[in-house]
Amino acid sequence: MIEETNKIIDSLGGTTALAKLLNVNLSAVSNYRKKGFPDRLHYKIATLCNERGIKIDGKIFGELSKNLPAVDTRPLEILSEISIKVIENLTEDDFELIDPPVLVSADKVLDRLGENIADKLYIFSDPSGSRLCLRPDLTIPTCIHYLNNGFDGIKKNYAYHGKVFQFQNPSSNEPNEFSQAGLEIIGGESCIENEIEVFYRTYKSIKQSGIKNLNIIFGDVSLFSILIDVLDIPAIWKDQLKIKFWNDKNFKILLEELTIKKRVNNQLFQKISSLDDDTAEIFVRDTIGLLENQSPVGRSIKEITQRLIKKSQEVKTEPLPKSTANLIKEFLSISDKPLQAIKKLKAVSKNIDSRLSSQIDSMSARIEMMIDLKVDLENSILSLEKGRTVEYYTGFLFDFNSSNLKNSQNIAGGGRYDDLINSVSDKNDIPAVGAAINLDRLEKIISLEKLI
Amino acid sequence: MSSILLALPSKGRLYEQMNKFFESSGIILKRSGGQRTYSGFIKGIEKIEIIYLSASEISSELLKGNIHMGITGIDLIEEGKTTASKEVILLSRLGFGKANVVIAVPDHWIDVENIRDLSEVSSEFRSYNNRRMRVATKFSNITRNFFQRNGINNYRLVDSAGATEGAPAAGTAEIIVDITETGQTIEANNLKVLEDGVMLKSEVCIFSSANDIWKDIDLKPVEKFLRIISARSEALGNAELFFDYTKEDKDLEINLFREFNSSFVNGSPNIGESVSLITPISMVPSCTYYLTSRGYGPVRTNRPEFIYNQESNSWNLLKNSINCI
Repeated sequence: MIEETNKIIDSLGGTTALAKLLNVNLSAVSNYRKKGFPDRLHYKIATLCNERGIKIDGKIFGELSKNLPAVDTRPLEILSEISIKVIENLTEDDFELIDPPVLVSADKVLDRLGENIADKLYIFSDPSGSRLCLRPDLTIPTCIHYLNNGFDGIKKNYAYHGKVFQFQNPSSNEPNEFSQAGLEIIGGESCIENEIEVFYRTYKSIKQSGIKNLNIIFGDVSLFSILIDVLDIPAIWKDQLKIKFWNDKNFKILLEELTIKKRVNNQLFQKISSLDDDTAEIFVRDTIGLLENQSPVGRSIKEITQRLIKKSQEVKTEPLPKSTANLIKEFLSISDKPLQAIKKLKAVSKNIDSRLSSQIDSMSARIEMMIDLKVDLENSILSLEKGRTVEYYTGFLFDFNSSNLKNSQNIAGGGRYDDLINSVSDKNDIPAVGAAINLDRLEKIISLEKLI
Repeated sequence: MSSILLALPSKGRLYEQMNKFFESSGIILKRSGGQRTYSGFIKGIEKIEIIYLSASEISSELLKGNIHMGITGIDLIEEGKTTASKEVILLSRLGFGKANVVIAVPDHWIDVENIRDLSEVSSEFRSYNNRRMRVATKFSNITRNFFQRNGINNYRLVDSAGATEGAPAAGTAEIIVDITETGQTIEANNLKVLEDGVMLKSEVCIFSSANDIWKDIDLKPVEKFLRIISARSEALGNAELFFDYTKEDKDLEINLFREFNSSFVNGSPNIGESVSLITPISMVPSCTYYLTSRGYGPVRTNRPEFIYNQESNSWNLLKNSINCI
């Protein structure tokens, strides 16, 4: 095996020449001489040999192809130079380039993204009657690739590129299909190192494409949910605030209502608040009019009872203090250069709870890691509002924008979504963090910058 | 010059109700070449070409901008709207086919009264059951828009071709969004409509597409047609009240307008005149009580066949929309 590898390296012009061809360090090629080619290079090596008329022993090729992962077989040559560079940067070292499915189950996509995405999907039925759609992103297909390979929690580093399909309002002149390249780290631990790995690779890929004008916006939606968790307010308000978090208008209305509204008491609440959990369930069963072995339509007795108990507690509570409402508002309004924003965050939330401060410390740690990696944070902000409009991420997230783009558009975006695997399968939450770059937009911006 | 395409429902109750409306309006519809064809014309009004389609086809053709005018339900227009749709103008309500698109949940959900409850329950549902709450409906678009406005995102739609009310009991969905005239079928299936669960009040209307298919069209025949339609549909919702204006009351006219949405046919009355007042049907009892208690009477009421105003609302709407193109 090693002998054959060395033969191929020599045929391709030796260590230095191959390093150039593959755009890797010399040391990487000397490693190949000792350990053999990594899986992800098999296809590329085979192509290089083929182009140069170098014959590879059929047996060896067979052996190679046996190890061949599901690589993207679309030739890189048809992509632009910028895209190739981005993809090479993303796939460097141990990120496996995969070719996830184009056709995915429409139900899985809707389970993941919610019905609001439905008017952007190309949904159709295949002859067997299954509802499919063209992939609207590459994250869900990557996830399906992970699950199809039978993985359940083990850490995989994936990279991908390909077309995605999203219907756009015809008058917007936005394309309905465009190319994405991206990364996902699925499985392993939910740690900031993985987040920074994904962020930094994305950053480096974009930066090396030659783009000049680049803004980065950071956020962390878990900061809000932890703040709500540690506040001393009734559980039902916590639920309500977390639900409405994703819709700013409704959130503001709710916050206002909580500070003034008198809540209506009724007999149901009065009765249930005096009962323990078990008797409360019996009481609810009787009120509905169910026999002992019957359950309510659609939900369990437990669900209904627990919610009634929460509602009855709400009735007894004083309105939300104005100061707490203001604290929440102030917290969410923080938006500044990362280090300044962290300072403000610490000031606003000091002495509230150690869980919250440790989450803020994680954000500091991320920013420090970025500074160590020499990430240019000049044009970046940390905004507590970031991520609120799409109910998608569960923690840290980032967006790459350019002032040459419309506000709502980004060049790349990513973050943590630990509920990803859970939402498309029956598996429990598995840590996942990823990012995707809109290659078409990146190229558009770069060519635009050349004109200005 | 090309003719105007007017699409009318081809079958069912909608077809019968529409025919009744046209008959009572004195508009005579003729089929070209026999009863079984799907095209026709209006007797005495040239250049309006009738095509008979299903109510949902009429809605989609209007939204694509392929036909000039059509008669269909508000529900179907709202359901058919996409980001790619052409603008559709409601020219006149025709007073029939009234029904509401509503959200209903199982009676058993004694903790759910309104949309706010539902939004909380949908999120809790996801954490309890590890999947999104299912909503059975044939109104996916209307539901999606309404839920989005109300900040409900934890749900999945289940297409329902018919008998939507049965879905919760059958276990294929937890709640439903359906259209109902009286709510009886919903109640009979052990479901309850949420307090603020009326998503859309629907009715059969005449609509027009607002786009460039109106270019180079002779509008005279449409004006005539729409004047009749407005006059008839306005008459359907109103009653005419007759009484003698026997004594001076400065505030009468303004009060009648403010409180009963009623106005005098011939403007401000003079003492001693016999006057007539146009009043919405629903206001007739309270309005007549008001008049008699103020010392006027006897008040006689009549149902007018037509109310022709100098300005026809639907014609104005159409004219303005075409001018904007």
